[in-house]
Amino acid sequence: MKRLLLDIYYVWINELKVIFKDPAVILLFFIVPLAYPVLYSFIYNNETVHEVKVIFVDDSNSSLSREFKRKVDATADVKVIGYASDMEEAREALRRKEAYGIMYIPRDFSKDIHTQQQTKVSVYADMSSLLFYKAMILSATEVSLDMGADIRVVETGSGSQEEDATTRQTVENEWVPMYNPQNGFASFLVPAILILIIQQTMFLGIATIVGTHNDKKRFTIASHTAQGKNVGAIKLTIGKAFCYASLYMLISVWVLRVIPYIFKFPQIGDPLTIAVFLMPFLLSATFFTMTLSYFCSQREFGMMLFVFTSVIFIFISGISWPWTEIPTAIKAIAYIVPSTPGIHGFIKINTMGATLNDVWFEYIALWIQAGIYCITATIMYKWWIQNYDPEYKGMIRKRVE
Amino acid sequence: MSYKTGILAIFKREWIRISSSKICIWGIFVAPLLSMIILMWMMSAGLPSRIPIAVVDLDNTTTTRSLIRQLDAFEKTNIQYKSLSFKEARHQMERMEVYAVLTIPKDFTKDAISGNRPKLVYYTNNAFLISGSLLFQDLKTISTLASASVGLKTATAKGYTENQIMPILQPITIDAHPTGNPWLNYSVYLNNVLLPGILQLIILMFTVSAFGSEIKAGNGPKLMSMGDNSIIKVMIGKLLPYTIIYMGIALLFVAVLYYINRFPLHNGFWPMFFNYACLILAAQGAGVILLGIFRNYRFALSIASLIGMVSFSITGFSFSTLAMDGSLSALSNLFPLRHFFLIYVDQALNGIAVGYSMYHYAALLGFVLLSIFFFGTVRKLLKDNVYEL
Repeated sequence: MKRLLLDIYYVWINELKVIFKDPAVILLFFIVPLAYPVLYSFIYNNETVHEVKVIFVDDSNSSLSREFKRKVDATADVKVIGYASDMEEAREALRRKEAYGIMYIPRDFSKDIHTQQQTKVSVYADMSSLLFYKAMILSATEVSLDMGADIRVVETGSGSQEEDATTRQTVENEWVPMYNPQNGFASFLVPAILILIIQQTMFLGIATIVGTHNDKKRFTIASHTAQGKNVGAIKLTIGKAFCYASLYMLISVWVLRVIPYIFKFPQIGDPLTIAVFLMPFLLSATFFTMTLSYFCSQREFGMMLFVFTSVIFIFISGISWPWTEIPTAIKAIAYIVPSTPGIHGFIKINTMGATLNDVWFEYIALWIQAGIYCITATIMYKWWIQNYDPEYKGMIRKRVE
Repeated sequence: MSYKTGILAIFKREWIRISSSKICIWGIFVAPLLSMIILMWMMSAGLPSRIPIAVVDLDNTTTTRSLIRQLDAFEKTNIQYKSLSFKEARHQMERMEVYAVLTIPKDFTKDAISGNRPKLVYYTNNAFLISGSLLFQDLKTISTLASASVGLKTATAKGYTENQIMPILQPITIDAHPTGNPWLNYSVYLNNVLLPGILQLIILMFTVSAFGSEIKAGNGPKLMSMGDNSIIKVMIGKLLPYTIIYMGIALLFVAVLYYINRFPLHNGFWPMFFNYACLILAAQGAGVILLGIFRNYRFALSIASLIGMVSFSITGFSFSTLAMDGSLSALSNLFPLRHFFLIYVDQALNGIAVGYSMYHYAALLGFVLLSIFFFGTVRKLLKDNVYEL
């Protein structure tokens, strides 16, 4: 038992030396996780789009149509840049990107309202961003309901204030956007990116270490047999994993705690619960990336092997496309990767304030992954040393010369 | 010398290098194909439908039950649970079993008829912004409808005829024309940029590695002499095989996106094909530029992957650059994918005259021109052939 712990400790300390001797690994383990979250938070920091530029075509040119325009302009999300004389001129403004939407008020707008007929405002939206579309439709609908209620009061109102209020709206409704009250993009996307950054930079760092061992054929260093020790594959794997995971414990404080704090992302979770949840995540991510890292045959190959998976992992995690809508087969693939339960659990705890009980499924899934990937990482180490260093199998070479 | 020289010799040698390299086969062929299959498959529904929600109906009358039935009939909404209490429903939301909760208060029907204005409250889980927004639309509509249906009863009581009622309940309606993507299809909106984005990422990295790996293997001087000491010949011979492969992948993307899945392609094949061609050349140019600037194989590769990944965000296809900080919106012009995206919007989605996109085509080709200034540096790198860690 004592021997076991000492060996793990020995591997752990020596792996730290390997890490801190290599500027590339320092870059990937420390600088990238330090800078990347800041960059992404900065990109999405404004949370939502305001003042989408809209051009009006007003064929009615009445006081009601001008009121409509004024009220649309007053909403936070839309800014009216002016009038176009006809649809063709407005379309030209769209083509020149002077505006991103057209609101068309028909000739009979005012007349229809006064003769108690339903009238229609057309909204033409540039679909280069769904955010533009959403902003325009919501603002226009809001104004139309609001003006509609006023018109109704004028037409059918009976005098008393209480009754007029009922005429305005018989049933009230209230929308409570939970966990992300300002409907922000950063608050929803960045927490998932943060978890992914931890897993992906870990892979790139470890792959660089493995690739460098291959390039320099320093398998004795890789196997920590320098002083005539033979620690064995399983202790070696665990020792290295503890080294990486413990470093990432520190990095996680910055990535998962300080970054959301600086950029004011929703952060209602209990830090202790996050820490407890992070244990299996970091371990499974470590063993998972260690397993794959042995495929990295050269120092530089980690990037080319693995970077593109970030895009896939973020989408199959169900952060944007609803998890319940993802085909079962893809869900199964997604659960092979630690980042999926990691993202689910982190968002539930951090953003939605869940307790460990609520994320029990993810928590257990991560421990199971950690167990499985610990075994695969050990097997992969054996394969690797067999494949690349068949003669010595990671042992010190005798001086032949 | 024992080997042939000239562009053709380098070209042939590069084909063999690519086809015998596991990393090239994985990175250049498998990666884009795998990404395409997974992303297209995942979003094949187009618009998420039947997103689960919970309803807490404390009134439970025929009126509220019919309201719930109407809501369930909406395509996007699927009433998964009828919960007994809000606490229970909220718990289901925390477990990601439902993405929204609608609460109907006690005495809702009675209050509505007697003019006491009861309140429907709906909660959406905006930690998942897209599901939350989609459900918001349905819940907002059903709440307005609820108001209308009660209003309808009151109005008929007051003696208005059927034809008069709708104009009174909703005097102004909004008629939406989402130009170019009338189904609001998410697959159209995401995959049209994600797939070329992955292609760009791969091109950036493999352009850097095409030269970096030669320096690492100590082949720099040999390569230069194969190209008769002309960097132009070396560049063309080495990069052309990749260009051909990438064009093949681009054609596959175009076929899958626009012909098999029938995504909007308003100006036909050529403007988009040309767009892909320019993106490929621009990304190759950018790869050469990065190598020229950073001069270290590994470091240039790191920057290439950084730029490739940041492209997905800074291009602004999901979160518009107009909403970003001004400096970022200016910076986005330095990313080839940004120009590709703007051309795609105008040529495939909006279908406006090619003239409006000329600036962006030119910008993409500008990356190629700019890269020529770095040919000299790359030539020196190959000649000196110093491999740094």
